[in-house]
Amino acid sequence: MDDKLIIAGQEIRSRFFLGTGKFASYPLMRDAIVASAAHIITVALRRIDKQERQENILDYIPKDCLIMTNTSGARNADEAVRIARIARAAGCGNWIKIEIIPDNKYLLPDNAQTILATEILVKEDFIVMPYVNPDLADARRLSDAGAASIMPLGAPIGTNKGVCTRELIKILAQEIHLPIVVDAGIGRPSHAAEAMELGAAAVLVNTAVATAQDPVATAQAFSLAVKAGRIAFCAGMAMPKDRAEASSPLTGFFAITWKIHL
Amino acid sequence: MLVRINGEEQQLVSLVNITTLIARQKIRPETAVVEYNGVVLSRDKWEDTILKENDTLEILSFVGGG
Repeated sequence: MDDKLIIAGQEIRSRFFLGTGKFASYPLMRDAIVASAAHIITVALRRIDKQERQENILDYIPKDCLIMTNTSGARNADEAVRIARIARAAGCGNWIKIEIIPDNKYLLPDNAQTILATEILVKEDFIVMPYVNPDLADARRLSDAGAASIMPLGAPIGTNKGVCTRELIKILAQEIHLPIVVDAGIGRPSHAAEAMELGAAAVLVNTAVATAQDPVATAQAFSLAVKAGRIAFCAGMAMPKDRAEASSPLTGFFAITWKIHL
Repeated sequence: MLVRINGEEQQLVSLVNITTLIARQKIRPETAVVEYNGVVLSRDKWEDTILKENDTLEILSFVGGG
């Protein structure tokens, strides 16, 4: 089956994207990346903290991965654009996940500011992956602005609640001709598989892997679930029915007479 | 000489370039990304960039994030 994920003209080896926050150590993070075979890996930029471990996270990301900086910490388009420019100037490439969050309680993104930042960064030749509330009109605006994919949330960041936005994700997957990458809220491999069955092109997971008891095994489980969900979506799954339908033949065995109760 | 480093005002008593400043702060240079007055400064320019009054410096690093 020729089922390649292409984003901005580049073939992406895995439909499972992995975030790097909250891991207990960088070596553990690296092992999780390797176990999942994720290709796109997200990182963030912060003011340096002299108290923290002074290791370079980039040293622990395998060289064949594609590093995508997020703009977390940005509260508006201007701040997101600034972070993107710094990331690129610092040598981290031009793939950027726009994440603009003015709300600290639910960490929900600001779609209007995200559209604005996308318009600016696309003109500066960034490959822009915007993290948004799943809204069809806004997804179309982002598509028109030149976004490389749309990253709608499944549930608020770090909640592990799964694809609470499933109806909207399904609509985006059907209507938007860009890869839909479900980002945030995915807590279990079954959630990831569900997102893929709905027609998502990929999923991005961080918290559920990094905070699991065994992040390496969890990363691998997510990766397998994403593959399974994708294959199922492409296979054209059977539809649910209200009435039972025997999977074994009901005739030609003893003399059973079935009474159908209508 | 007053400069602003990562949002905090700091008084510098002598002329200092970015390389020395980073070393004094006990920051490993290979982990640092420096934005100098709003422009990212590549590492090869740190030595020749001497801080002056009212400069604004952001010293950043890549960290884990989703």
